[in-house]
Amino acid sequence: MIRLEDVSVTYRGGVQALKNINLTIDDGEFVVIVGLSGAGKSTLLRALNGLVPATEGSITIDGTEVVGASGAQLRAIRSKIGMIFQTFNLVNRTSVINNVLMGRLSAVSAWRSTFGLWPAADRELALQALERVSIVEKAYVRASDLSGGQQQRVGIARALAQDPSVMLADEPVAALDPITSRQVMGDLRRINQDLGITTLVNLHFLDLARDYGRRLIGLRDGELVFDGDIADATDETFTEIYGRAIASTDMLAETADD
Amino acid sequence: MTAVSTRPTKPKPRPIGFVIAGAIVGFTIFAAAKVGFTLTTVINLGNLPDNPLTDTIWDKGKVWSLFWPIPWDWVLDRHNVIDPLLETFQIAIISSIIGCSLALPISFAMSRLTAPNRPTYFVSKAVMNLIRAVPDLFWAKLLVVAIGVGAFAGAWALSIFSLAVMVKLFSETVDGADPRPLEAARAAGARHIPAVRTSVLPTVFPAYVAYALYVFELNIRASIVIGLVGAGGIGRVVEAQRSVFQYDRMLGILVIMFGVVIIIEQVSVAIRKRLV
Amino acid sequence: MTTRPTKSLGGPIRKSGVAVVLLVAAVWSISGLDVSLSRLASAPGDAWAIVRFMFPPDFSGEIERGVIGKVLESVYIAWTGTIIAATLSLPLAFLAATNIAPPWLRVPVRQLFNAIRAVPELIVAVVLLAVTGLGPWAGALAIGLHSVGTLGKLSTEAIESIDQGPIEAVESTGGGWTSRMRWGVLPQVLPTVISYWLFRFEINVRASAVLGMIGAGGIGSELVQQLNFRNFDAVGAVLIVTVVVVIAIDTLSAAVRRRIIAGTSRSSRSGSRDATALSDLTGIKIG
Repeated sequence: MIRLEDVSVTYRGGVQALKNINLTIDDGEFVVIVGLSGAGKSTLLRALNGLVPATEGSITIDGTEVVGASGAQLRAIRSKIGMIFQTFNLVNRTSVINNVLMGRLSAVSAWRSTFGLWPAADRELALQALERVSIVEKAYVRASDLSGGQQQRVGIARALAQDPSVMLADEPVAALDPITSRQVMGDLRRINQDLGITTLVNLHFLDLARDYGRRLIGLRDGELVFDGDIADATDETFTEIYGRAIASTDMLAETADD
Repeated sequence: MTAVSTRPTKPKPRPIGFVIAGAIVGFTIFAAAKVGFTLTTVINLGNLPDNPLTDTIWDKGKVWSLFWPIPWDWVLDRHNVIDPLLETFQIAIISSIIGCSLALPISFAMSRLTAPNRPTYFVSKAVMNLIRAVPDLFWAKLLVVAIGVGAFAGAWALSIFSLAVMVKLFSETVDGADPRPLEAARAAGARHIPAVRTSVLPTVFPAYVAYALYVFELNIRASIVIGLVGAGGIGRVVEAQRSVFQYDRMLGILVIMFGVVIIIEQVSVAIRKRLV
Repeated sequence: MTTRPTKSLGGPIRKSGVAVVLLVAAVWSISGLDVSLSRLASAPGDAWAIVRFMFPPDFSGEIERGVIGKVLESVYIAWTGTIIAATLSLPLAFLAATNIAPPWLRVPVRQLFNAIRAVPELIVAVVLLAVTGLGPWAGALAIGLHSVGTLGKLSTEAIESIDQGPIEAVESTGGGWTSRMRWGVLPQVLPTVISYWLFRFEINVRASAVLGMIGAGGIGSELVQQLNFRNFDAVGAVLIVTVVVVIAIDTLSAAVRRRIIAGTSRSSRSGSRDATALSDLTGIKIG
């Protein structure tokens, strides 16, 4: 379970990215977070795994406090949280499977990982992760040779290889075309349903949010302005979250043909 | 989602990678041995090869006393250091001017973009490659032998050096210049050289000046070095002191040089900032 | 009717000012160089005379004297020196990078690089030879130490220009500092850094030939000796052999460098970085 209590994040320049966030997310939930750029979506995700330290408040994941955790504790927390990025963040020059194996970094000794001597059990986990996103046949292909959608799936596999209890997705489809975006969102939803991994996804396409989300969280200027079922979110809700009328640029496709 | 898709077999690691890595390591060990860096010599660093000079030097850490203290009275004496330093400046200035001036047309000739015709392009490229293939000090030594010891030879040598370096850099800038103005000029019927002069030169000129300033800096430093083979300037003094084992004076000169180089570098950077 | 603007005088005045300064500097310089018209006239002739004496080059004599071995010795010295520099400069570069090291660490290391670069390797060699006695390994050490400065600075810049994304990814999986370096930084930096090493090797081959002239082993000593004896045909042979080897190494190294850079992702950044790296390695910074 993820719990945020009175969490605020102020960056060094004085910008306050999150203001007094209070949130509880149960295990296995699929949460979609929407808001304008700069509303605090990325900050929220990164506060959960400590990539951005929270300046106030408390964040507990499965009972462990993230705020103020030491280096080693933080690494332990992160090992159970998988993260996927808008820009995929793969190591381009190496193979797909090596990228996925990076998910096992916290489980394997530094010596072994530096020299690429991954134990068989970890290799097996990596291959299984690749199978789960249907891309195992590309295991030994160089990462940069894949298409955007395929690279993101490798990113998902890398997160899965950690055997995480939480999955954080920071605008995972912003760099992808509509069809691939839906494939990736579909993968995320399926993983959430099959494996019960708590999933939080930052999105800025509202139609995707409606089609794939179950719980919706809306952020505006660092504040939580909506927290509820996606079914209860009307166009007015989105207008309020965005602070402006919805535009066509907020939709992935003019007509949603699934 | 049906049965597990067939997993690809892990490709066998291509042997070429290991062969190359092995060759490099092997060559390194071989070269190091040839040079004298075997494991035994490194371990025996304390006992150096037989040499009466080094025996005394290493004896009871007398090394430092050879270099220190710096005899400032000797170093700051006008004749010993300041005059040769001025000579060094003179060499650097004239070589930079000559070398960089020649480099301008040659770089244009050497650049695919602005070469007037293919023969000029190939010939100038070939000649410059040859010139650059000869180590700079070889030029200096050859010229000293040919023309005589002194700053005159030094100026010639550094001119060649400036030319080589300047051409290398500047021709790359010219290569990367925007070809469209030149196209436009040619389309308007201009002859080649005027076309280049008006459409390419203005764009690359700031880079030219910046490089020229840096070549000047380089020449100041290089003049110490050519002095070691007798081509004048402060380097000659350095060599003279070294050969009579007056390392303390040598160090003094080097310290002054260091200071001068830093000052010039700062001035040069400031000028370049105002250019770009 | 619009009035035509008058051409401002600022530009031409500045240009002529610069020209005057250069002229004065040139005249002053020449005055100090012991130049006379007769000397100027005879210089090209003298130089040409030597060139004529170099042909035909005395290959057989030089080969008997082991010129090939000496040139190879220069290559070995350059290689060893470059390897030393590579091994030292990369770890130091990590310590000097703004995105990795804290200020109290990176400032001294960067200053160290600058200090080393300011001292020509010939001087380092002179000092080393004085202290350790003659020998090719002193030359290798001199080359190695000096190159640490340039390679260090370039490697630092390469490290600082990487994409932070993959590093964040490693962090998010719970990887520690070593993993971040090994998987986040190194794969991005290694191709560029290796091509820097190779380019430095090309320059060091020339440097080691030169070091030979003051006794650090290699072809330089042979050149000096033959020059002293005025055996210009032998000198010719030495020069030709040197040039051939240098060009061969340059070509090989350039081909390998192209291959390495081409193997990376096709970002336009690598092209321009190559050019700036080139200028910096030849010893010239711009901008």
